[in-house]
Amino acid sequence: MSARTDFSRDKAFLIDMTKCTGCRGCQVACKQWNQLKAENTTFFTGEGYQNPPAMSEHTFTRIKFRDYQKNGQNEFAFYKEMCMHCNDPACASVCPVGAFQKTAEGPVVYLDDKCIGCRFCMIACPFGVPKYEWSKAFPLVRKCTGCYSRVQEGLKPACATTCPTAITYGPREEMIKEAERRLAAHPDRYLQKVYGKEEAGGTSVIYLTALPFDELGFKPVTMRALPSYTWQALRLVPGIFLTVGGTLSAVSWFQHRKEKVKQAETESKGAACCAAAEAAETSKEDHQ
Amino acid sequence: MTNHWNDIQHADVILAIGSNPAENHPISFKYIEKAMDQGAKLISVDPRFTRTSSKADIYAQLRPGTDISFIGGMINYALQNDLIHRDYVVHYTNASFLIDDGFAYEEGIFSGYSAETFSYDKSSWKYRSDPQGNPLRDPTLQDPRCVYQLMKAHFAAYTPEKICEITGTAIQDFMAVARTFCATAGPGRAATIMYAMGTTQHTYGTQNVRSYAMLQLLLGNIGIAGGGINALRGEANVQGSTDYALLYHILPGYLKSPEYGDLDLADYFAKTIPRATDPKSVNWWSNTPKYLVSLLKAWWGENATAANDYGYAYLPKRSGNYSFLMLMERLQQGGFDGLFCMGTNPIVGGPDSLAIGQGLGKLKWMVAADLWETDTSVFWQRPGVDPKEIQTEVFLLPAASSVEKQGSISNSGRWAQWRYKAVDPPGEAESDAFIIDQLYRRLKNLYAKGGVFPEPIVNLSWNYGSGHEPDIDLVAREINGYFLRDVEIKGKLYRAGEQVPAFAALQDDGSTVSGNWLYCGSVTEDGNLMQRRGKEDPTGLEMYHQWSWCWPVNRRILYNRASVDPGGRPWNPKKVVIAWNEAAAKWEGDVPDGPWPPMNKPDGRYPFIMTAEGLGRLFAAGLADGPFPVHYEPMESPTINLMCKQQTNPAVRPPAKLSNPEQFPYIGTTYRVSEHWQAGAMTRNLSWLVELVPDMFVEMSEGLASWKGIRNGDMVTISSERGAIQARALVTSRIKPLRIGGKMVEQVGLPWHFGFAGLAKGDSANVLTAAVGCANTTIPEYKAFLCNIEKGGTQG
Amino acid sequence: MTAARYVLHEIQSYHRFIKFLIFLVALAAVGSTIRFIFGLGATTNLNDTYPWGLWISFDVVTAVPLAAGAFTIGVVAHIFHIKKLEPLVRPAIVTGFLGYSLVCVGLMLDLGQPHRGIYVLFPWNWNVHSPMFEVSMCVMAYTTVLFLEFLHPVSERFGWHIPLRLLRNLQIPFAILAAMISTLHQSTLGTFFLIAVDKLHPLWYNPLLPLQFWLSAIFTGLSIVILEASLVHRFMGQPNESDLLATLTRIIPWVMGCYMMVKLVALLTFSEGALFDRPVLTTLFVVEVAVGLLLPFWMFLQSRIRTDKSMQLRAASLVIFGLVLNRFNVSMFGMIQPGQQIYAPNVLESVVTVGIIAAHILFFVLMAKYFPIFEHHPEAVDATIPDTFRRVGKEELKAIPVTVLPDP
Ligand SMILES: Nc1nc2c(c(=O)[nH]1)N[C@H]1C(S)=C(S)[C@@H](COP(=O)(O)OP(=O)(O)OC[C@H]3O[C@@H](n4cnc5c(=O)[nH]c(N)nc54)[C@H](O)[C@@H]3O)O[C@H]1N2
Ligand SMILES: Nc1nc2c(c(=O)[nH]1)N[C@H]1C(S)=C(S)[C@@H](COP(=O)(O)OP(=O)(O)OC[C@H]3O[C@@H](n4cnc5c(=O)[nH]c(N)nc54)[C@H](O)[C@@H]3O)O[C@H]1N2
Ligand code: SF4
Ligand code: SF4
Ligand code: SF4
Ligand code: SF4
Ligand code: SF4
Ligand SMILES: [Mo]
Repeated sequence: MSARTDFSRDKAFLIDMTKCTGCRGCQVACKQWNQLKAENTTFFTGEGYQNPPAMSEHTFTRIKFRDYQKNGQNEFAFYKEMCMHCNDPACASVCPVGAFQKTAEGPVVYLDDKCIGCRFCMIACPFGVPKYEWSKAFPLVRKCTGCYSRVQEGLKPACATTCPTAITYGPREEMIKEAERRLAAHPDRYLQKVYGKEEAGGTSVIYLTALPFDELGFKPVTMRALPSYTWQALRLVPGIFLTVGGTLSAVSWFQHRKEKVKQAETESKGAACCAAAEAAETSKEDHQ
Repeated sequence: MTNHWNDIQHADVILAIGSNPAENHPISFKYIEKAMDQGAKLISVDPRFTRTSSKADIYAQLRPGTDISFIGGMINYALQNDLIHRDYVVHYTNASFLIDDGFAYEEGIFSGYSAETFSYDKSSWKYRSDPQGNPLRDPTLQDPRCVYQLMKAHFAAYTPEKICEITGTAIQDFMAVARTFCATAGPGRAATIMYAMGTTQHTYGTQNVRSYAMLQLLLGNIGIAGGGINALRGEANVQGSTDYALLYHILPGYLKSPEYGDLDLADYFAKTIPRATDPKSVNWWSNTPKYLVSLLKAWWGENATAANDYGYAYLPKRSGNYSFLMLMERLQQGGFDGLFCMGTNPIVGGPDSLAIGQGLGKLKWMVAADLWETDTSVFWQRPGVDPKEIQTEVFLLPAASSVEKQGSISNSGRWAQWRYKAVDPPGEAESDAFIIDQLYRRLKNLYAKGGVFPEPIVNLSWNYGSGHEPDIDLVAREINGYFLRDVEIKGKLYRAGEQVPAFAALQDDGSTVSGNWLYCGSVTEDGNLMQRRGKEDPTGLEMYHQWSWCWPVNRRILYNRASVDPGGRPWNPKKVVIAWNEAAAKWEGDVPDGPWPPMNKPDGRYPFIMTAEGLGRLFAAGLADGPFPVHYEPMESPTINLMCKQQTNPAVRPPAKLSNPEQFPYIGTTYRVSEHWQAGAMTRNLSWLVELVPDMFVEMSEGLASWKGIRNGDMVTISSERGAIQARALVTSRIKPLRIGGKMVEQVGLPWHFGFAGLAKGDSANVLTAAVGCANTTIPEYKAFLCNIEKGGTQG
Repeated sequence: MTAARYVLHEIQSYHRFIKFLIFLVALAAVGSTIRFIFGLGATTNLNDTYPWGLWISFDVVTAVPLAAGAFTIGVVAHIFHIKKLEPLVRPAIVTGFLGYSLVCVGLMLDLGQPHRGIYVLFPWNWNVHSPMFEVSMCVMAYTTVLFLEFLHPVSERFGWHIPLRLLRNLQIPFAILAAMISTLHQSTLGTFFLIAVDKLHPLWYNPLLPLQFWLSAIFTGLSIVILEASLVHRFMGQPNESDLLATLTRIIPWVMGCYMMVKLVALLTFSEGALFDRPVLTTLFVVEVAVGLLLPFWMFLQSRIRTDKSMQLRAASLVIFGLVLNRFNVSMFGMIQPGQQIYAPNVLESVVTVGIIAAHILFFVLMAKYFPIFEHHPEAVDATIPDTFRRVGKEELKAIPVTVLPDP
């Protein structure tokens, strides 16, 4: 869980899918900046011209195509998948070695020299973002870096720089304000929702769309920050640890004392003792 | 473009017709969306539902090759409902001109037609004039022989019902487009048309463009902010290439190239310079002598003298049509020994490409200067041929790419922007300038030893420094032009060696040099203005006059004198392109189309300074196929012409290989995708782009697919009279059959980026296309042909 | 005779079941080698949709509760001081130690960067918000404790008196420590899946998952002791301890009862979303609860069954089945989203897991063969031999009975 509570000055992406032309400049810019390998594809792997089939170790962002008819009208819609750079990222919260970090600037970065490769981050991320180098003997995780190295230099991420139309990049608070302004200015163009404002506890990637989010392939996610779900259990850990230790010590002490007392009693009673000892002996013999 | 990219944001209605800006001009969409954010409506008229259509407020499907019907229907709608900008039409167009009585039109044929030669004698296509030769006008537009009335009659048949029967458009979609677009008639509202290859690649491509221009003139949308007709130019610098005479029939700056009979300069001028009778007409082309002589001085320097007609004799004289189509035809006849392919890949990009492949084998030698090993450069390795049987010697010269050299690049909006070299070219790659320079040096040495007519080469003035390659700055200075001796113009003295400030200062007496008059003003004494990056915007219309330099004379919107009323007051006071400042007696805003006062002032001038009459032409006599556009069917069509008896463009000779509709029942059209570039050498070799669109595909409707038992991703064979190719089927609801004349016709769409060489290979769509072109430009009819499609293919 | 020769000779003398186990382990070793050469993608059916597969679901998430016998029986015998159960402790510890060691082996195979596993220990990497961090620390600590406990028979075997004495004094602290650590990591394995709030089906997802994991580990741990003792009795000729086990069968239903209560409460009050919307998951859930929970619970309530040697075993087996299914439901089946392609382990993955199970049995048998695991019940050692340890002579060593597997 992040120590921060104010994310308003974090850099955020406002991705307006109603303005996205599906040109996929972002997809290529990302590969170029991050020097990612091309994937081997044939034909298309999804609706429209969609390729590659999914985000992967070689593909940090991808345009999902929706190509179908609805009420006799064609829908040709696009959705840019990428890391959401959550305010309180699940990936970072579960990583046993702290290889994921939420930076002060906004991007959630991955420190590959720490990672042990357990893939918990992949299980944790509600958006299915972190991907694995399945082809390698000693694989690492890969995901959108938020172009942290560019952002640190005051540049915009590669995809945001390339995008002709759909991506705006700036302080989260301003991006949300701009998103809300657009919803108000063009109520007929948009579904009235700022996705990412609250999803997963708030993200640094904010979406506006015309189609319902599930139709575009957005994953349903909770509104709470995910780490809070585990933390509500984990925060009890020290308490439980000590409670169990204390209780068992007490029980042990009590039980052993009980026995000592009993022993003392039997010793003083003498005869009874012999009987007990005999009983013990017989049971011992059974066992051998 | 009459306007420029940034200006699209000022439109109230944007009509993307015959273009797919979202996919092919992605950056333009930034301005489209800016406009839409202000409430503008985007209309997409395309046979397919494209990525542009997906963003549009209105999408209208039309059958490939029926733009004239569609726009004719809109013109008719505007005229019938009087949705025109009447003042504009009366004052700024030739609507009021009376037409000669000899002019006639019937069933698709204009007067003067000869069926033998497939051409017109255009002598009857002229204005009625008084004895002094001044055209007669009827400003009331009532005279039945005035352009307006003739036009109204001409398009009366283009009723919504009729044209939808031809175009296959749903009538309510057409009506929505017509209503929305024509609502911009009059001052105050602007509509722009963004067009490209869907418009031009037809046997009547020029007439398609004409129809757009006519509609815009009627609505008063030319010259204003957010208006115009805007050709989305193709290759990054194709605007520059055309400005510099990429085409065979022009010299730099769109000066006509001399023809066989133009024996000397006087002949040439007599034939090429149009004559204006109206004193209010600027008739800019009357300046031709200044530009041509300055050009000849640039080419032959001291060897161009008044005595030798400034070297006019050195210019090649054209004796026919040397367009791409004709060259390819001649290539196939074995008409060439050698071929230079500098930055072109015709075996993929040219129509009927199997035939081109065969033609290339008849060459003795071929040089390909390219960034990549193109399909054309390895034509001898193409599938189905035995390399041993091809004798052509092929040289591949590795060329430097745009970021590996410096120079200017002109965008569609005519902005010439300077680019600097970012990196050295890899390996042995050299800039095109280097290649040309070396070629020149070696040819000159050879010609110096003798040869037929060596003077044009040995006498060339070639002063571009002594570096490894020509000094591009010197080239740019020469293109702008400089004074060869001291010259006094309007009281100002210019010294020899000084840069010419603007083309108005060019001289026809050999005292100035200018490699391209249009670019005169780009490199002045103030420096190389193409390098400017100033962001000041006093007009508030994002014209950025201090950003780069724009021809002509940094004017950002052409015909901007039409954005004001005849008194010089802007039609739309909210978006002022230019305005006449009465007190200062000068124009403010954009650089006006000439300094003269507004039209109705005593020495005022008409706004359309490039035409002889100074006005926009609704009736255009100069074209090969008629002064008004007529709906003809594409050379290959599944239907008879439902508009008139003439089936195809009468000014186009049908080619030998034509697909017939019985055997090839489906309409084929070719297009681009965002992810690939042209003939593909530049993108099919880049794995990141190959990943996105890895192989050749064909888009088809769900109905056709199920009828043929084809599933998404299946291999299919598409064939035409020219050949057959294989592709994967992309079955989508974005492609729909069309109802034409009462029967359903299926269409299929093919990207044309694939070829047999490179990282990603695939069959070329141009195997299918017909080698037949536009009557005026000979651009091939890539956008409408007939084909058949069957399930299965040998590749899987 | 060289050492290798000696070993070979020794192996040749083994029973063919043992040889078969060795073969399985060898296969798994080969599989593991392939994994380290060609990577996880080539050797497993794992992918970005299923980053965790058989190796995590079984080798870790399931194996850990299955190894819970050590701490539960430790608590029962040492802390609650039910002394008569002490004979069960040492085999349970050996099983636990083997279990945890093999969990570590499984993890090493599954980790992308096994050589960096140690990074978890470096304070500058510590992430207390990570359940995985907690489990890793616990597993390391607990394996160490188990190892120390396991040193008991080893020391005995080699007659190391001083350590033995030390270990004996630490027995109770160790038992307490084991319980503390186990409580944490057994429950935290459940916490793992609390993060999967949008992925794990509500049939299993609820905030009480950690508590359920802990409780089920306890009763399964005890069931494992039953299973193990029964099998050891049956196949290794060890004494029948069913009356001792009967004590356990009286404890198990109590814990199961608690577990069922928690599960019911969790399901009724804490689950969000439709419960029975996915037929396959519903079936899995019903099987888990009916066959793996209610049935054995009912059985353990019958005193006739509780004291019946073979019925004990059956009930315990059902409990274990229920736990395995539960862990798979939580970590795998319940995480499959509608329309998602199904994951099934491939041959190599399965071979490795089978090898790990085989290794467990193999090592147990071998330990029993070479170390005093059954013959010296700690109770006997403690109670009867005063601190007069001596080095066991060669002759005497030979006299220590060797387990002989009866021919099946
Ligand atoms: N990504 C990318 N961008 C490019 C290029 C590229 O190769 N790739 N090429 C560049 C070049 S050189 C050029 S010339 C431009 C071309 O740019 P465009 O003209 O936009 O390119 P096309 O895709 O060939 O055709 C545009 C649309 O015309 C439609 N169409 C076909 N027939 C007709 C018709 O009869 N009428 C109408 N109204 N529409 C029709 C097609 O369906 C297609 O969607 O693009 C430039 N931009
Ligand atoms: N079926 C069909 N066919 C078509 C079209 C269509 O719509 N449909 N469109 C037509 C159109 S509009 C066009 S413009 C043509 C285009 O046809 P071409 O011009 O033949 O195609 P390109 O692929 O653009 O070829 C340009 C070549 O120049 C190389 N190049 C790039 N930069 C440089 C440089 O600086 N120097 C040199 N020497 N080489 C360089 C590239 O690698 C590339 O191989 O195709 C036409 N063909
Ligand atoms: S989207 Fe996933 S990977 Fe990205 S920050 Fe959020 S949890 Fe982490
Ligand atoms: S795979 Fe790496 S980054 Fe992900 S949780 Fe494990 S250690 Fe952290
Ligand atoms: S922010 Fe950078 S890494 Fe992330 S998708 Fe965009 S370009 Fe790729
Ligand atoms: S670059 Fe922008 S417009 Fe193009 S696909 Fe990506 S998000 Fe959409
Ligand atoms: S490819 Fe180049 S020229 Fe074409 S839209 Fe993009 S930036 Fe402009
Ligand atoms: Mo083009």
